[in-house]
Amino acid sequence: MFRSNNVAARIFDRQISTPAPGTAVHCARRFYENIVPSHTIYDIECPDLLFRKFSDDGQYLITFSRNHQDLIVYRPTWLSFSCKEQDCYAHDLPSKANKFESYFTQLYSVTLASSGELICKDFFLYAENNQFGIFATSAAQIQNAPAVGGAIQGIPSIEKITFHLVRLADGVVLDERVFCNDYINLTHSMGVFLYDDLLAIVSLRYQRIHILQIRDSGNLVDVRAIGEYCREDDELFLNSSAQCSTIPDRNGTHNIGNELHHIQHISEASFLSGLKQRLLSFIFRSIWNEEDDPTLRMQCLKKKFYYHFQDYVDLVIWKVQFLDRHHLLIKFGSVDGWVGRNTDSHPAFFAVYDMETTEIIAFYQNSADELYSLFELFSDHFHSSSKNSFYMNFISTHSNNIHALEQLKCNKNKATSLPQFVKKMLATLPFNCQSQSPSPYFDHSLFRYDEKLISATDRHRQYTDNPIKFISRRQPNMLKFKIKSGPEAGSVDGRTKKISSFLFHPILPLAISVQQTLFSQSVVVNIHFRR
Amino acid sequence: MFGSWPSFNPHYFSQLKPNDPSSPSRMTPITYRPTHDRTLPPPDQVIGSEPKNILLRHFYEHAEEKMRLKRRASSDDLTPERASKLPRASAPDAASS
Repeated sequence: MFRSNNVAARIFDRQISTPAPGTAVHCARRFYENIVPSHTIYDIECPDLLFRKFSDDGQYLITFSRNHQDLIVYRPTWLSFSCKEQDCYAHDLPSKANKFESYFTQLYSVTLASSGELICKDFFLYAENNQFGIFATSAAQIQNAPAVGGAIQGIPSIEKITFHLVRLADGVVLDERVFCNDYINLTHSMGVFLYDDLLAIVSLRYQRIHILQIRDSGNLVDVRAIGEYCREDDELFLNSSAQCSTIPDRNGTHNIGNELHHIQHISEASFLSGLKQRLLSFIFRSIWNEEDDPTLRMQCLKKKFYYHFQDYVDLVIWKVQFLDRHHLLIKFGSVDGWVGRNTDSHPAFFAVYDMETTEIIAFYQNSADELYSLFELFSDHFHSSSKNSFYMNFISTHSNNIHALEQLKCNKNKATSLPQFVKKMLATLPFNCQSQSPSPYFDHSLFRYDEKLISATDRHRQYTDNPIKFISRRQPNMLKFKIKSGPEAGSVDGRTKKISSFLFHPILPLAISVQQTLFSQSVVVNIHFRR
Repeated sequence: MFGSWPSFNPHYFSQLKPNDPSSPSRMTPITYRPTHDRTLPPPDQVIGSEPKNILLRHFYEHAEEKMRLKRRASSDDLTPERASKLPRASAPDAASS
């Protein structure tokens, strides 16, 4: 659309020509090629903080105190100063440019963790339409906890996990939800998924998916708990039925239309109910439907279902994400596999579950080519951006960006074994909620950068002495800007292990890079911005 | 032709509406009318929006496909799945103008 690379010429172009239909955001984004965070101030004076991230609309910077007890929220502003000289641009920046407070204004500091608890520094979810933030605090973890009260063996227990719903505008804690003697995977928000106003929390210990709704008033309301029971009134029904001594026909309990084969168990405790029953009956019916001939059918069932029956029964929910308001993508695996995370010896499975009809729609193993082809074509929909978060629709994935797709195909061709590659790609599902930065500097159609050194996913990276280059896509080999997280002159000691993390503002040409030396408290914070 | 339509300023269409009604032929605007009815919608067509996104649609379709394969194996009845689609005009002279 733009004929020139000059920003003034582009602005004139923008006045007179209309972008192609549906590309208004992409055209506006091209101005980010001209406005880049090329200036770096190394090792700024900054309070001792743990940086989490910028909120996805760019309004807040979320940080925690070093003691993991307080939440401190800043508003990103911009460095401003006055200069009386004639040629201001040639001048060095004033000394206040080296201070963190020149770029960020503290809004408030609120204590979330009471004594004995710590804020999980990797956990933060942002509900954009109401500007609510969800944080988690947890108490100590108890290893080798006994499996009591419906808990499964092999999963540790945390005495108390609290989720706090905070209104970020003023820091008021609106609501809390407590889970006692439970285990929820809080690192990188893996055990929790936010979609619009629905929150799915996976209790690994009790194998339940808690669905909560965030009301506009700031209340967290329980919607349902999927696991033992599928519908909200299942528990009531089962309890009232259990009171009767003889139950002639249990088939009516769960309202499934097609023929079902209930497995008759001796004791009440091993009655497979809820999600597990739905899953097993789906697997059974799909194998049943494969063959018409009754003998072949029985052989098929024996080989594929009954032989692996106990393995299917022992499957546990690992992770969950929303695909839309009614559908969940659930990852199942074995208890041992959850700890080891080894995809080879412990197969994982994916199921699509409809919460309203309580039916399983699809079931795949983690090596399924069918699921991989859907992942390759529609990975945007796995990121399930709700209509409320505008920026999330424009994150580069291999389904919406040709360069990212080329990179994926290149990796696929380089892979030694295709099934292994498929398993590795599908191991990223279900995606972590809000783990991708919406910053346009990560847009693959604008910039080319080394994905191993920096990417939209917020993870710590290995520190590298060389600056990370962002090269323009449209003008090949033209370096636009560099980001380096280390000290300006390079590190003196090359042996100590260092990790870098990058926080990019979603809209402004502003980024923070934090370099931490492992096993020591030394932290270097740099600011990258457009001077 | 547009003279009777509501507008902010009736003189906007004065070029099309001749001041002199006795010579209308020079001012007739070019109009296009279709010579076939292939593009007409079927009389019972209802257009609605699909609540499921494309990924979920694929999941449901895969499940239906498996059921459909089984049903087709059991019966040889090859009725088309979607009756709302109009059959294409197969006559070769329809293409030539």
